Amino acid sequence: MKIEPIRLKSRSNHAYLGFILPGLILYSVFVIIPILCSVFYSFFEWSGIGPMKFIGLKNFQYLLFGDRMSPIFFNALKNNLKYLACVLLIITPIQLFLAYMLFLKIRYSKYIRTMLFLPYVLSTSIVGFFSLLLFDGNIGVLNRVIADVFGRQYTLSWLGDPKIVFKLFVAIVIWQCMSSGMMIFYADMQAVSRDVIEASVVDGCGDTRRFFSIVLPNMRASLITNITLSVIYAMTMFGLPYVLVGPSGGVNNSLDFIAMVFYRYAFGGTYYGTTDIGFGSSISVVMLIIILAVWLITDRFLKRIKD
Amino acid sequence: MKRSYDINTGRGGRTGKNIISVLLVLYSFITIFLVGDTVLSSFKTKQELVKNLIGLPKNPTLQNYATVFVEEGFWRYILNSVLLVSASLLLMMTVSSMLAYGMAQYRFRGKNFLQGYFLIGLMMPVQLSILPLYLMLSKVHLTNNIWGLALVYAANLSFAFTVFYRFFEELPLSVIESARIDGANDFKIFASIVVPISKPVFSTVGLLQFIMIWNDFFLPMVFLTQKETQTLTLAIYSYTCNFLRNWDKIFSAVTVALIPILIIYFLFSEQIVAGLTAGSAKE
Repeated sequence: MKIEPIRLKSRSNHAYLGFILPGLILYSVFVIIPILCSVFYSFFEWSGIGPMKFIGLKNFQYLLFGDRMSPIFFNALKNNLKYLACVLLIITPIQLFLAYMLFLKIRYSKYIRTMLFLPYVLSTSIVGFFSLLLFDGNIGVLNRVIADVFGRQYTLSWLGDPKIVFKLFVAIVIWQCMSSGMMIFYADMQAVSRDVIEASVVDGCGDTRRFFSIVLPNMRASLITNITLSVIYAMTMFGLPYVLVGPSGGVNNSLDFIAMVFYRYAFGGTYYGTTDIGFGSSISVVMLIIILAVWLITDRFLKRIKD
Repeated sequence: MKRSYDINTGRGGRTGKNIISVLLVLYSFITIFLVGDTVLSSFKTKQELVKNLIGLPKNPTLQNYATVFVEEGFWRYILNSVLLVSASLLLMMTVSSMLAYGMAQYRFRGKNFLQGYFLIGLMMPVQLSILPLYLMLSKVHLTNNIWGLALVYAANLSFAFTVFYRFFEELPLSVIESARIDGANDFKIFASIVVPISKPVFSTVGLLQFIMIWNDFFLPMVFLTQKETQTLTLAIYSYTCNFLRNWDKIFSAVTVALIPILIIYFLFSEQIVAGLTAGSAKE
């Protein structure tokens, strides 16, 4: 039971201001005000210097319906959503399954847990290096092994093949990031009432049945956490595809994501078009709207499952 | 609360679970291979790498390390990363713990609003604030400056705030009250009583944020474009994006980045997990 602490309310104490102000100022200046500025800029045509020209919704119109931008944007959005679908349909079930295996204390579970979680602490650039080490078309380990065992004609340009690269990307994400969600599930499972679990053991309830009738219904908090984190992560995907295939999203833009489109148009400058603060801002505003929309949908969905 | 159950279900499930164990152990060899091969290959010459990518180095050499450290000035990137993370963490932990304490232990008007206000940062993509931030920092000449970037990291305190807040909310007040009766002022109470008993929270929040900032790619890439100010992550990336050309140096560079983080991981993996789960929703 939570004990309500007695607040130090009286004393006409204004000391709280001293505690709160530094954080409030720092956070407002470097987080909130920039967000508001982005929303504001998105209605302007502005290169960052010189006069700002109000153009209403033209930036959004160009992004969503312009002949040049709309295919790029929707291709990227499609990839974001495709990845999100992979998270919800493949990665989350794997995380739940592995967490349950650790919870059941399968053999070597301590070793397994340590090794599964390890890639989580590696930086994107190291993961990118590992991916190249394995999958590089010319000098990668995988192609060398294939060439030695089966012959050179069976080697593939893994990261250069638009049909393979997305699957490979999901596999790499599973390797690197899957374990954080797994550990969140695992921690939540350990909070399931011990009595209930023991009772089910006494009653001779099998592992599978126990999972679906006792453990899973208690996973609501961690499911919400994980899915919220995944939605944000999926919709802002940037580092790994950037490291794997470069800023333009690889062959046929098969690994292009909205955050990469944003980067190209906001900071790419001379390479990818104009440096347009207004247009870049409008992309980031659209990102936020999509995140909120996807999050609302999944939230609804989770609530419905619960009832 | 960490308690493990001894569940012995017997019958049938045993074999299946053993197969899963074996498969997962085999899967873990991927990680071992990647780390091991990287470390081993860092001692090979370029000529040897062409023929002998997988396997022990025949004539171990430290040449690659010499190149990376002396010619390419790698110590500089390490120093930048260390300074950036230290400055960000110091500022973030100080500011966010004070903020959470003030919010949790005092009653004042507008508190509910502020609570929601400080959570906004959890939902916002960095892309949404980065353009105005860039303009703002370049105006005061803080781009290409690790202190400027440290301010940005420290300001993203929503996660740290949440975890600290949950902890301070349940703080036993008897200790604080007695200090108050002894005449200690609010800040002295915080610094000399609250902080020492909150060490575990500081270490879990600190470790998780350390990993996030140490590994971050996007913000350094945008804010630190000059070579002298780059971080270790960016330096590694500048090698990988020219993979073939840096073929010999890259293994030692990655090893240098890899070993410290692995040591930290093996020493503190429990706290890292605790930090990760501390931020999750509670019923």
